[in-house]
Formats: sequence, C-alpha cells, structure tokens
Amino acid sequence: MGVLGALTLRLLLSVAEPIWAATQPLPPFDPQISSGTSVGTTVVDGVGRRVEIPAQVKRVVTLSPDLTETIYALGLEERLAGDTNYCDTPPAAKSKPHVGTMQNPSLEAIVALRPDVVFASTSINRRETVDALARLGLAVYATNPHTVRGVLDSIASVANVMGAVAQGQTLVAQLQERLDALQMRLADLPLAHVLFVVWQDPLITIGQNTFIADALRWAGAESVILAEQNWPQISFEEVVRLQPDYIVFTSNHSGGSTALLADLRSRQAWKGLRAVEMGHVLEISDEIARPSPGLVDAIEQLARHVHSEAFRGPGAHDTPVPENREHISRMLPSAQECTACIR
Amino acid sequence: MHPLTPRRVFGICLLLCAVLFAAVVISLRMGAYPISVRDIVTTLVNGALGRRDQIPSEFWLVVFGLRLPRIALGILVGASLSTAGAGFQALLRNPLADPYVLGVSSGAALGAILSLIVAPLAPGLIQIAAFAGAAATIAGVYFLGRRGGHLDSGTLLLAGIISASFLSAVIMFLMTSLSGRDLRGMAFWLMGDLSSAPALDLRWLYLLLIIGVGSIYTTASDLNLILTGEQEARHLGVNVSRVKIVVYVAASLLTGLAVSLSGAIGYVGLLTPHVMRMLFGNDYRVLIPTSALGGAIIIVLADLLARTVVAPTELPVGAMTAIAGAPVFIYLMRRRVR
Amino acid sequence: MSATAGYQAAFARENAATGRTPRLRLRVEQASFAYSATDRSAPTFTLGPVSFEAQPHELVAILGPNASGKSTLLRLLAGLTKPLAGRIEVDGVEVSSLDLRTRAQKIALVQQESELLFPLRVWEYVLQGRYPHGRRLRFESEADCLLAGNALAQVGAEPLRDRWMDQLSGGEKQRVILARALSQQPSLLLLDEPTQHLDIGGKVELLRRLRRLADENRHTVLVVTHELDLAAEFSDRIVLMHEGKCLRVGTPEQVYERELLEGVFDAPLEIEMKPGGRPHVILRGVR
Repeated sequence: MGVLGALTLRLLLSVAEPIWAATQPLPPFDPQISSGTSVGTTVVDGVGRRVEIPAQVKRVVTLSPDLTETIYALGLEERLAGDTNYCDTPPAAKSKPHVGTMQNPSLEAIVALRPDVVFASTSINRRETVDALARLGLAVYATNPHTVRGVLDSIASVANVMGAVAQGQTLVAQLQERLDALQMRLADLPLAHVLFVVWQDPLITIGQNTFIADALRWAGAESVILAEQNWPQISFEEVVRLQPDYIVFTSNHSGGSTALLADLRSRQAWKGLRAVEMGHVLEISDEIARPSPGLVDAIEQLARHVHSEAFRGPGAHDTPVPENREHISRMLPSAQECTACIR
Repeated sequence: MHPLTPRRVFGICLLLCAVLFAAVVISLRMGAYPISVRDIVTTLVNGALGRRDQIPSEFWLVVFGLRLPRIALGILVGASLSTAGAGFQALLRNPLADPYVLGVSSGAALGAILSLIVAPLAPGLIQIAAFAGAAATIAGVYFLGRRGGHLDSGTLLLAGIISASFLSAVIMFLMTSLSGRDLRGMAFWLMGDLSSAPALDLRWLYLLLIIGVGSIYTTASDLNLILTGEQEARHLGVNVSRVKIVVYVAASLLTGLAVSLSGAIGYVGLLTPHVMRMLFGNDYRVLIPTSALGGAIIIVLADLLARTVVAPTELPVGAMTAIAGAPVFIYLMRRRVR
Repeated sequence: MSATAGYQAAFARENAATGRTPRLRLRVEQASFAYSATDRSAPTFTLGPVSFEAQPHELVAILGPNASGKSTLLRLLAGLTKPLAGRIEVDGVEVSSLDLRTRAQKIALVQQESELLFPLRVWEYVLQGRYPHGRRLRFESEADCLLAGNALAQVGAEPLRDRWMDQLSGGEKQRVILARALSQQPSLLLLDEPTQHLDIGGKVELLRRLRRLADENRHTVLVVTHELDLAAEFSDRIVLMHEGKCLRVGTPEQVYERELLEGVFDAPLEIEMKPGGRPHVILRGVR
C-alpha cells in the first residue's frame, strides 16, 4: 500500500502541477520571439486597438485573402511568412505556409512562423482570434474596411505598418485615379437597378450597409432591395415586382456566364423576368465582395456591363494597368469578350 | 457477491487518471509548433519549480500559453459535461438524456448572443452573459417542472424540451434579423470550440467543478436506488425530492459552466456515461467519478485530433466528438456480454 | 359486541391459554383518513376508525373487496400518509413521526413490480435493501452482504444471485423483490395484493413462504388481499374491511361468518369448517 500510495501521489502531482501552472496568468510576452528589435511605435488599428509595432517588420502573417492580395499588390510578398488555406489570389499565395482557416486559424502555427505583425480583417476574422493572439503578446493589426474608400485607407495603413509608405501611396493613387476616372464617366448617368444575388435558393441579397452595396454605387449601380439587414432573405415576388435591370451573380472562376443565363432561362420563375429575357444576367468576379485592390477591377467590370454605353468610343481602354499585377489584367475583359452580355 | 468497495472505486479512478495523464502528455507533444518531448518535460519541470528564466520564451509560450490552457480547459469542460450527463440520465430516468436536454445550452447561447449585440467588444462578457443565461434557464425550467411541489421527471423533461425549443427559436430570430457580421463568432460558439480560451482564472472554475461533481456524488447511493423506481426508493428511506433538487441544480450548473466557456460541445455528456457504464458498471458511486475522468480524457483526445488531423485547419471539437464517439459507442455496444 | 372489543376479548383468552406475554409489534388505534377531490370539497372516501394489534411472528390479512379501503390502510401503516386521527405505532413508536430512514429500517413495503432503468444483478438489487441501515453515501460491509445472502436464501432464490434482473421470470422477480424487503430487516413486512398475477400454485407458494418467514424471522407480516381461501388458510388474524370501515378483527374462525361475508363480498357463499380448524369458503350455486 505504501508503494501504491507513493505512486499515486507522484501521478497526481505530475498531472496537477502543470495544470496548476497553466492556470496562472501568463507573464508578458518576451519580444525576443520576433525577428524585429524591441523598440517600436504604437499605432491605432482599424478597430481602435492600440498596437505596438516593432521598428522593423520583416515577417508578417495575414489572416484573410484580401490582406494577402494587398501585400502582393504592394510588392511585399517576400515578407509574407504565412497566410490562410483560402488565400488563392494571386496563385503564388497558395504556396505560402498556411495557418488554417480564417474563422479558426491555428494559433500555434501562427506563433511557429514568428511574425512581427499579424494582419486581420474585420470582414472575415473573429474578434476572439484577434484577442487570443494579442494575449499571447503578438502584434495584431486589424483592418476595418466598410466602404470602398475604406479599402483604400486599409491598403495605405497596411503599407504604413510594414514600413513601405511609398509603395502604399503609389498603389492607392493608382486605384484612386481609376475610380475617379470611372466616376467621371458615369457622372450623368442614372444608377442601374440590379439584383445582386448572394445565394439563389433561398434567395439572399445584400443590404444597404454592406460593403458590396458601396461597391455597386461606385460602379453606377444600386441594389433594388433596400434593407437594413446585411444579408436579407427575400421572396421572389419582390423581384418580380421590382423588375431589376440586371441580375448579378459572383463567381471565382470565369466562363460560367453563358451557362448561367441558359440555366436561368430554363427555370420557371426566373425566365419571366425582364432582365433574363433581355439577357441582362452577369457573372462578375467575386472580388466585388473583397476589400482588396482587385475590388477596383471588379467595380470597373461591373460598370462596363451595366453602363456599356459610357465605355464605347476611343477612351474605352485607356485605363492604366500597373506592371506587377498580372492577375488583375487577366480578369478585366474587353467589351468584345463580354459573353454574358447578350443583347 | 462482490460489492463495490471504496478501494475498487479508488483503483478505477487511479487507472483513469493514468490514462488522462497519458492523454495530456500526448496532447502536449502534438501541435504545429515543433517541440520535442524533452523540451516539453524540461519546460514543465522548470515551470513547476518556478525557474521561468531558464525556459526559452517560445517554449514557454507554446507550452504554458497555448497548449496547456487549452488542455486544462478541455479537462474542465469534459468532466463537467459528462458528470452532468450522468446526473441527468438518472434524474430524468432516461438513458438518452444529455446535458442540453433541459435547455441550459440554449439559455447560455441566448445570453451569449445578447452580449454580442449589446457590447460585442467587452472581454469576458460573453462568458458571464452565457452563464447568466444558463442560470436563468435553470431557474425557469425548475419552476415549470414542478408538480405538486416536487420535481417530477416527466414534467421536467417536457419543460426543458419546450424551453430549449423556444430559446433556440429566439436565437434563430436574432441571428437572422440582426447584422450578420457581429454574430459570426456565434456559429463557432454553438458548435463547441476550445480555441478561444477565455482569460478567466481557471482555478476558480476548477473549484466549481469539484463542488459540482462532489455534490452529485453525495447522492450516488440514492441515485442507485431511485433508478430501481422512485416509490421503491422512498420506501427504502431515500429523500427523493431532496436528491432530485441537488442533482438538478448541480448538473445544470456544471452544464452552464461548460457551455459558457466553450459553447455546446455535443455527444460527450450523452456518450461518456454509457461508455463508463459498459466498462465499469452502473453503480453511480463509481459512475460519477469515472464519467468525470472519462469525459476529460475524451475531450482532451478529441481536441487533439481536432487541431492536428487536418492541420493547420482546426476543426471544432464538437465535430470530433461526434465523428470519433459514435463508432466507439457502437463497438462497445456490440461487445457487451449480457 | 364491537369488533375491537371482541378481538381484545379473544386475545385475552388466547394469552391465558398459552401463557405468552404479548409483545406488541403493531398497534393501530382509531386510525382514520379521508380523501377529497380538492381541499374544499367534501371527502369522497373515508376510512373509518380502525383499531387492531399484531404480534411478532403473526401473519395478518387485511381482507375486503375492492375499494374497501385496504390499500389506504396499508399506506397509513407504511407511514406514507399521516392518519387524520388516531395513532399507528410500531414497536412503540408512532410511525408518521419517524424520519424516512428510520421508518425504512422498521417497515418494508414489498412492491409488485420493479421497473429498472439500467441492468442490475440480483445480488446488487437485494443488497440495496441494506440502504436504510447505513450512512447516506455508503459502501456495503461484509455484514450487509451476509444479510442479503440470507435474505436470498430465505426466499429460495440463492441460485439466482448472479443473474440479471431483467432476465428473471415473473415469479423469480417477485421472490427477489421480497428478498430485498427482507434484507431491510424490518419489523413489519407489508404486501399489497401480492397474489394478483399468480396462478393458484404461485399463490400457495407465496403464502407458504410468507407464513414460513413470519414463523422463522421476527417480522409481522401484513398482507392486503381479497382472496378468502388463502386468508383463511394462512393468516393468524384477519381485519375485515368494507367501504372504508373495519367490520371485524379476529381469527379466521371468528371473522368468517356467512351473513357477514356475503354482505361484504356480495356473493352467495357457504362456510365450511375444515378438520384443522380453518374455515373454508365455497361458492354456493349462482344460477
């Protein structure tokens, strides 16, 4: 019994001790874990959190595809130590080390990559993730793009945090220029009424306060549904009553537009819609929903479809295409390539 | 005739502690960050001895900052849910009862969702609000479940099911009619998730666990008798009303505790007592501690699988308990010799 | 002469004959009860004042047709309900004043059925009868196991000890339930219509067993029944109930009077005295 008792005691202690230690509050994070120096600046991120950024930001991890895309657009992909499983734009991002999903990334995997800064986005990441990483002592910068202008601000702030102020300013200026040009083109035109389909069955569209609604407005379009909720589920009768000019779907692969139109034309409910009869069914890039540089391309793409009359003529293809963004030029179809717009 | 002795109970618990210990060690070893067993052991030893400065900060972070808190939380949640499940199965006289059948998890979820609406950024508020929701549901269902001044098993079950449905409907309404972004975290919370370990002091929570399990354990002999029939138990001198109240309150609070911390992890509360019954018998004097320990083991292992099987993607631990639990249960069921 | 007075007279004669000093096991004195549908309405059923006494080793039959108040009387005896008036004492202590545990040490109520939720072995089930004699959270001792084993042996269920409860036949189960009551080591053993689902062979076997238990152990056995023949054959004392009133208390010969029984049971009966001194009830021609 003595031996058994001693063994018991040892076993219990060995289980209890580490658990006891684990329940102690964690001491402050030792900054030597990062590759930067210990002197940094304190900034306020997109959600108002105070973040201490190391002076040298050599390694970063992104937790959402739009941030990954932004970093590539800024030309800073060398410093990208890791991204999520779903970061596929540009394709080179797929070969970076992954840290998991956007909703539930592996905290350990992030720590293992030893980042100086972790970028998160309120568009897709959870607050709990940000808090958990901050508790571990990592510098987490959260962007909060609500609108198209907010996207440009986010891009600028990401660039600033990474110490690449010049690249940021250049990129933002380019994007701003394109947006301004678009505004001019569309200045006197009425807003096109579109139905933006998030999900077909049940029929879910976008609310007024969403990011996508703002993007639509920049493209000279407006959702026919005015709702306070972000993702209102609507009845098909509403659509029939409102008869939108265009029906817009998103897709992350091209080439499905003709098939999509054919499919809608075969459906009892949809084929009676004026937009379907006239062939005003669009499938645009899903970048319209993503607060990244590619958003501007998607806005332009949409504008070309719904206001094609504004793009006829010599100035149609004058939009500048910056060099190191080959994926964006791929997605920008010319008027002739627009197979979805069957008149 | 081999009656149950304290020694046998103790021996079985010791065995399960050893298994738990092994599970903890394995779980400490596995993870995205590469760290050897030797380093883990030295970190643990140095940490226990207070020699913090001797440990590289990365090891400290991984072992004490990431893995151990998650394991400690898993043990707490697993033990709470399994003990509560065993208690409810006796209270409601129903082998299919799980800790959520009386609506505690729905109440907690409602509390959580309300806190997300009202003050989404307050740290720790979601846990407190969830526990408050659970407590309110416990009280409400208690009053609904009384008949003639006593807790009646059938009425209690009905009251709980109705409350659960009602609360779930309210939650669904809130989730669809309010802003989608704020409630993204709810989906995860409803599935059961150990990764967002709250910054609460686990020591107090462990104390609550011990109090809860201990309270139910004091009624273990009584529960054995009640399971042969309430009238019979009364004739044998069991104060059935008192036992029911104790078990109801203790099991509900344990459930509320677990759900507030990690969301509604499914299947553990239902399956663990049955597995333990098959392995160690029906007697509640051994079933209560084995359920607690068994639940801890299961959650630790399930969480280990959840975070390593498709790394770096982390699955919710509730999915693992369902996937891994069902086949094991079927196997044990077929093996049962009667 | 009233029922009680008659009984007491007979009792006094008996004691005089045997020279035995009465040690009173059970004493029921003017116990009465009433059921009402609600608190305010008039009682729908009344159990009139009942008085009788019983000794150790006695088997008492509470006899009467349906709805005569037998089961209510049993509930009062078991202490499940407090009588509205009067006293019920077991071993000199008023039953309704006892706490649950002590009451379970003195009185065992044998159920008809047992609906088990989880599988249980016979010996585990019988061992549960020791619950009233220990602390609340308890582990059974050697002595407990011995007593439970004895109880099993007394009902002839020893070979069933390791079987699962739900694998037993009806008769075997009843014996095991009885064994659990015996392991309570009660002063009073109460049974409510135990012969209900048994055939004649089973009935006789059960009553024989109860008779033997009453003789061997120190119990007093009270059986609620409407079986005239069995009550006459096996019991020492009969309490005759009819519509909530206790009509007569006495030995079978004293109670079995033709007009009395015909009035109570509303059936044409004939009473015959058998050689052993026990009355025998025959159904007179009905057609």
